[in-house]
Amino acid sequence: MVDDIEMDDTAASTGATNASTAKAGKASSNALPAPRFEIKKWSSVAMWSWDSCAEHCAICRNSINEPSIEYQANPSPTNDNGLSITFGNCGHVFHLDCIQRWLKTRSVCPLCNKEWDFAKIERIPGYGVGM
Amino acid sequence: MMRNNLGAAKRLRKELQSLEKSAKNGDTAATATSAAAENDTSDNIHLRPTDMSSLLHWTAYIQGPKDSPYEGGVFQLSIQCGTDYPLAPPTITFDTKIFHPNVHFEKGDVCLDILKKEWSPAWGLQAACRAVLALLSDPDAESPLNCDAGNMIRSGDVAAFWTTAEMYTVENAFFIDWPPRGSGTGNY
Ligand SMILES: [Zn+2]
Ligand SMILES: [Zn+2]
Repeated sequence: MVDDIEMDDTAASTGATNASTAKAGKASSNALPAPRFEIKKWSSVAMWSWDSCAEHCAICRNSINEPSIEYQANPSPTNDNGLSITFGNCGHVFHLDCIQRWLKTRSVCPLCNKEWDFAKIERIPGYGVGM
Repeated sequence: MMRNNLGAAKRLRKELQSLEKSAKNGDTAATATSAAAENDTSDNIHLRPTDMSSLLHWTAYIQGPKDSPYEGGVFQLSIQCGTDYPLAPPTITFDTKIFHPNVHFEKGDVCLDILKKEWSPAWGLQAACRAVLALLSDPDAESPLNCDAGNMIRSGDVAAFWTTAEMYTVENAFFIDWPPRGSGTGNY
């Protein structure tokens, strides 16, 4: 799963490079059919990576653009960590409440098994503080 | 305060949905993405909730792996999830009798590290079943729940282990049809 995402990222950045090369070519030499082909290729790669970028929390499997399953099941004004997401130093992202509950069992990232360190905590857009 | 099981049940509902989805996509075989790779071993696994109302209890059928003494057998597993699933691993037991060093011969308990301290909440029930399949191909004689089986392997008498395991497979695991009834269609 992790490997897939990394591969997708690589594919996406390669695609983006091709696309910008193609655009540059089009700007300088005007209306060749070749750049069109390049752009079409880029869009298919982009869609593919868009799909894998629709990221989910591996613990509850909800999207990281929506609250955690636990928060949806038991919304609580006193514990709204399910409305935040957090990144580890390893780069993996989970809902804050999901990872907090897991860390009571083991302090490793569920996806890569590395020691977990909080790198960043963010509110999910649209679920601001005090809502 | 008593914790309810809504979180666990919701997560399991998501697993059920993706199982149903991949069962449908399995026939079209057009999507050459990671879904195809994931289907490699899941063809040998049939997984469904035992009770649609709670989703905490599942039944799995697994096909004995090729080149193992379990080949040709279909084994029924009971999977029980607690209300703290997926933070805590599911409990998996063999309903079908099996002769294997890491499965309790009477009770069917499975000794497998990823179902104990190596569990990760990123895994699901299908991954857990895949791990059980891998255990059938690759028994670990060093941590036996079935001492007879473990001793046979440790003493180097693999032929005796193989013969005994095969005998129990024929005796107990040759009665379930494959694919199990209701597979692939989602109507359980
Ligand atoms: Zn989550
Ligand atoms: Zn990680």
